[in-house]
Amino acid sequence: MTAAFSVSGLGKRYPHFELHDIDLALAEGEIMGLVGVNGAGKTTLLRILAGISSPDSGTVEVLGHSLPREQVAAKRQLGFASEDMRLYRKRSLRWHMDLIARAYPDWDESYAGILLKRFALRAEQLLDGFSHGQRVKALLLLNLARRPRLLLLDEPTTGLDPVARVEVLEALSDVLRDGDRSVVFSSHNTHDIEQLADTITFLHEGRMLASCDKESFIDRWRRMVCQGDWTPDLAHWPQIAALRRSGSVLELKIRDFSDDLAGRLKGQGLDVRTVHPMSLEDIFITTVRAGETA
Amino acid sequence: MNRFDINVPLVKLLVAKDWQLFEKQLALYVAGGIVALCLLGMAQRWSFYVGSLVLIIVLVSTACFAISNSLIVERKERTLAFVMSLPVTPMDFHVAKLIGNLVTFGVPFLIIAGGAIAVVLLTPLPDGLVVYGLLIFGYIFLAYCVSLSIATVVESEGWNTFAMISSMVLINPFMMVLGQIPSIADNISRDAVVWTTPAVAILAVQVVVGIGVLAYTTIAHCRKPTFY
Repeated sequence: MTAAFSVSGLGKRYPHFELHDIDLALAEGEIMGLVGVNGAGKTTLLRILAGISSPDSGTVEVLGHSLPREQVAAKRQLGFASEDMRLYRKRSLRWHMDLIARAYPDWDESYAGILLKRFALRAEQLLDGFSHGQRVKALLLLNLARRPRLLLLDEPTTGLDPVARVEVLEALSDVLRDGDRSVVFSSHNTHDIEQLADTITFLHEGRMLASCDKESFIDRWRRMVCQGDWTPDLAHWPQIAALRRSGSVLELKIRDFSDDLAGRLKGQGLDVRTVHPMSLEDIFITTVRAGETA
Repeated sequence: MNRFDINVPLVKLLVAKDWQLFEKQLALYVAGGIVALCLLGMAQRWSFYVGSLVLIIVLVSTACFAISNSLIVERKERTLAFVMSLPVTPMDFHVAKLIGNLVTFGVPFLIIAGGAIAVVLLTPLPDGLVVYGLLIFGYIFLAYCVSLSIATVVESEGWNTFAMISSMVLINPFMMVLGQIPSIADNISRDAVVWTTPAVAILAVQVVVGIGVLAYTTIAHCRKPTFY
C-alpha cells in the first residue's frame, strides 16, 4: 500500500522545544489523529509534513515527494489548515475561493458549491463578519474543494464553542468519509480524535509515545477493579501501566490486556470485580503519566 | 528543485493578490500626491512649501503603507500561514513580496515623481529643482528599500516600525546636507537642470545601494529551504 507520508528519524530543535527521532507513516486513504497536550510537537510535525518547516534530522516523504526539496510538488497535492491560520478579513470567501482556484488546477467548483451549502456559508460575505466556527469551515472548504490527496488539519476545533465544535466535527466526519483522501488531524481533545481517526498517535514533549489503529488501542487497554492485598511483585508486571489503591480496592490500568490476566491476578490473591474498556482520553493520560510507550 | 527556480504563475498570483488588497488605498495616496502637485504647480511661495510638505508626507506614507500591509500586517493578522500553505517556496514568496511591493509602492512613486518633474518643468518654478527633487525621491527610494529588506528578514514588529520611521525621518537632515553642498544648493534656483558630479554621485549611490540591499536579501532567502 502506498504511504500518504512517512518520516524516519525526524528531529527538529527550537530553543525551548525539541522533536525527537520520530518514525511514523500513514497509508493512503486513512485518517490519523495526533493526540497531545499543548507543546507536544503536533504543530511542528504537521508543519514539517506541510513543507512549511524543514527538519534538522531525518527524512520526510509526502505523497512520494521528498521534503523539503520537492515541497512545491507535495504542496500541490495536499491541504493544510491550522488553528492559527487566518484569511483576509476585508475580503469575501468568494475572493478566497477564486484565489485558491487559480493556485490549484484541481479546484472543484461544483464541490465547493456543495460544501458552501453543507457548511451553511455565504460566499459573498466578508471574512470580517464570520464567526470563528465559520472561519474554520471556510478554511476547510478552501482545502477540501482543491481535492487534496492528503489533508493536514492542526487543531481545527480549538477555540470553538460546543455547538460550533459539534457542527465542524459532523461536517468533517461527512466529508472525510466521502472519498479516499488521507487525513492527519491533531487535537488535544481525545473525543474529537476518537470520533474521526482510524489510526491514533500519541505525542508528548516532542516524543512519540504510541501509534496504532484505534481498535487496537481500545482492545489492548482495560481498567480493572480488584479486591485484595497489593503485592510488590505486581509492580514488575509489564501489563500494569498504573495502579491506584483505596483501602483493599485496587484500580489497575492495563496495557496489552489478555483474557488470562484475571486468572493470573487471582493467583496473586486479587479478586477481579470489574473489567471495563478505557476511553482514549484515559489511555492517553495513563500513557503520558507512565512516561513510556503504550 | 533548484533554489533559484521560481514558480512564475504562483508569484504572479501573489503579486495580483497584494495589488487587489491595496489598490484602493494606493489610489488615495496617488490622489494625495496629485493634490500636492497642484499646490506645487501654483508656483506661489506658500503653496510651494505646503505642496512640498504634502508630497513628502504622501510618499513616506505610501512607502510605509506598502511595507507594513504586505509584510508586517500579514504576520500580525496570521494570514501569512495561509500564504505559506500555498505551493510556494520561501524564494517564490520573497520574489512575490518584492515585486508586489515594488509595484504597490513603485506605481504611486513613479506617478508622483514623474508628475513632480513635469510640474517643475512646465510651470514658472525654477528647473534647477529637478535635480534637488530627484535626490529627495532617490532618498525615499533608498529608505524604502532598506525598510523593505528589514521587514523581510526581521519578524519583530517593533524593529520594523523603528526601521521605517527612522529611515524616513532622516530625510530632514538629508535635505539639510543637500543644502550645504554648494554645487547642488546653488543650482536649485537656476532655470536650468544642472547635473553636477556630487548630485550624480549621490543619486547613483542611492540607486545602487537600494538595489544592492534588495539583492542581498533575495540571496539570503535562496538559502532558506523552508519558511521555518
